[in-house]
Amino acid sequence: MSATAPLPSARAQGASPWHELDPLTRLVVALGTVAAALVLGGIVCLSLLAALTVLVPAAVARELREVLRLSLLLALPLGVSVVVVNVLFSPGTPAEGALLATGVVLRILTMAGAAVLFYRTTRPAELLASLQYHGVPSRATFVIHNGAAMIPRLAERAREVTEAQRARGLDTEGNLLRRGRGLVALAAPTVLGAMAEVETRTLALETRGFTRPGRPTLLWTPHDGPVQRLARWGVLLVLIVLVLEHLAGVLPC
Amino acid sequence: MTEVRLEAVDFTYPDGTRALDGVDLVVPAGSALALVGANGSGKTTLARHLNGLLRPSSGRVAVDGIDAAERTVAQLARSVGLCFQRPDRQIFGRTVRDEIEFGPRHQGVSSEDAFGRVKALASRLGLGEDLGAHPDDLGDTRRKLLTIASVLAMETPVFVLDEPTTGLDARGVDRIEHIVRELVEAGRTVIGISHDMRFVAETFERVVVLDRGRIVLDGTTEEVFAEDRWPALRGAGLEPPEAAVIGTRLGLGSTPTEAAIVGALTSRAARR
Amino acid sequence: MLRLAGVSYRYPGAGHETLHAVDLELYPGTVTGLAGAEQAGKSTLCLVAGGLAPRVVGGTVNGEIDIDGQDTRDWPMHRLADLVVTGLQDPGGQLSLIAETVFGEVAFGPANLGLPYDEVVSSAEEALRLVGIEHLRAHDPTRLSGGQQQLVVIAGLLAMRPRYLVLDEPVAHLDAASAKLVLTAIRAAATAGTAVLMAEQRPEAWTACDAVAVLGHGNILATGAPDEILSNPRITTLGIEEPAEVRLRRRLSEAGLDPELMGSAS
Repeated sequence: MSATAPLPSARAQGASPWHELDPLTRLVVALGTVAAALVLGGIVCLSLLAALTVLVPAAVARELREVLRLSLLLALPLGVSVVVVNVLFSPGTPAEGALLATGVVLRILTMAGAAVLFYRTTRPAELLASLQYHGVPSRATFVIHNGAAMIPRLAERAREVTEAQRARGLDTEGNLLRRGRGLVALAAPTVLGAMAEVETRTLALETRGFTRPGRPTLLWTPHDGPVQRLARWGVLLVLIVLVLEHLAGVLPC
Repeated sequence: MTEVRLEAVDFTYPDGTRALDGVDLVVPAGSALALVGANGSGKTTLARHLNGLLRPSSGRVAVDGIDAAERTVAQLARSVGLCFQRPDRQIFGRTVRDEIEFGPRHQGVSSEDAFGRVKALASRLGLGEDLGAHPDDLGDTRRKLLTIASVLAMETPVFVLDEPTTGLDARGVDRIEHIVRELVEAGRTVIGISHDMRFVAETFERVVVLDRGRIVLDGTTEEVFAEDRWPALRGAGLEPPEAAVIGTRLGLGSTPTEAAIVGALTSRAARR
Repeated sequence: MLRLAGVSYRYPGAGHETLHAVDLELYPGTVTGLAGAEQAGKSTLCLVAGGLAPRVVGGTVNGEIDIDGQDTRDWPMHRLADLVVTGLQDPGGQLSLIAETVFGEVAFGPANLGLPYDEVVSSAEEALRLVGIEHLRAHDPTRLSGGQQQLVVIAGLLAMRPRYLVLDEPVAHLDAASAKLVLTAIRAAATAGTAVLMAEQRPEAWTACDAVAVLGHGNILATGAPDEILSNPRITTLGIEEPAEVRLRRRLSEAGLDPELMGSAS
């Protein structure tokens, strides 16, 4: 993984060209896909987009199954309601409604797929390192990082709190009403504890110089290059063109 | 009076870590034992088996003769009160009283009886003046005592206390030592998990040492902390209590507690 | 020297001060212990000495605080971070969550200081060695036990080779062997020139100290050599635990035996 010197990493490196890309590039592709999916409309174009920016990279990264599974899971609730609404309450024929619905569902799936692909193939630590490499100040990334990194901590905390309360007789296997009453016992220590932890972490990061102006020493640098830089600007360009065409009403899709 | 029994218990976590390996342990009804071991030795994993939070991969856990596999956690919580280590992952009540009452009220104890238990326990644990206080306003020691009071309030026949003295000041530790003795005198079965060897030696008569999921020593504190066992203790990542070390240097035999040192020196002086 | 003179501190929105007219001096190469009952203000004093209060915590400070003769009260936090680092309670909460490995976590501080790459790596290596956790270097810090996380946090602070190191209960949740390691590492840092302020409850900590200050209700009540302070029978009324030796000697006297019988023991 490292372009400078090999440092031990707890998780095995995904050995695929997609994983080797600069995390910033993967981020730009993900955000670009989401933006493009919002602008494009036709089923053909959306499918092409999904294939190009989600399915192909996912296959290269050997994450196709997981990406499909998680995107479907994510998109399912919204997708189902869209289909139902559009087929049953379509102003035109049910067939037209179905067509419309398919377009919307495809859009949701593409956006979900882009997000899932990014999440599955990019670790928070490497994204942060890449952003630092590209000059994004720590304070800016701090908030996002803190939020994202807290999720597993929160889950772990919730698990411990649940065990402690179950040990005191809180029934999490019983009927729904009893479970509802126990909610405060589970929620309060979890949430309040997590908030206290954020405060502690803020202090700890400050004292360890995280908010110092200037760039920290990077222990790892991403594999960036002129091709990727070109590609990132290219994505931006394509997006601008799409938006302009959309506004001008001449979008082929 | 309730016996706790583990028979050939193995437990492997989903990620493949083998946490318990062929554990055989009988805790006779109305007795107390200390469970010690280094980080990762399996102490807390074992504790979680006693109230069903974890189920053995193989082997059997029995509480009061009944296989734990036949009971839910909520049911087992009526027999085994387990107090975890971290107060901030348990306390949620707005007052000390609410917090202590939670367990008994969940057991269906009447409001009056529950309050009776709250008053009695608060007083024994030094929280008598704090019933209306918000737990966040108490210091670390009283918060910890609060979590212990909350579990004791359930009046289960078996108590398992996970690191009951961490974060306590000296007076707090004294209180816990007294409480454990009182519980045993009252016929409860008590299992204490601790890395504080001094507390262990002062409070318990039997010590069980876990090393990487296996029981490697099981005996009285005199036996387990005697000099010939120190290599085994150190191999398990533990150090004998200071009193044992001092007593050995003075040539007094096995003196796991300060009282033992004083006793041995007194006898030696009397013989001269 | 880090000097606090007549320092009082009030938390934001608090009705009263938590620290009253505190005088404290930390000299390079020494370890100063801070003893006192819970809620006497030890943690608060740590936050003020390390500059986190009032800068990040808020609140108001009165009195003088200077480092090496310079008034630091108006310095921003990141300027202070070059000189002073603070260790807090709750090891898990201090993990950056940015590092995937213990090595990365320990190197985080030096990396933030912008030190050259080789120096970052070597300070991290040395800190890992000092605290005895080299075998954990590739582990995910969030998956370690509380005690191990505490070792990681301490290593991370030592790796920054600060001039002044403030520690709030560094050995609180550690077993005897780990506590000994950490105290030895703290002494090593002092020998290398760091001035350490260490708030603690555990009596073992005092063996690593050159001086002990006693805090009671936000006031410094006494400062002196550890032996002097800790053999004073009044300390138990102040919520400070007697060291094992002192207690044993006392018990021997109470049993009518000569406390010096213990003399050759430790």
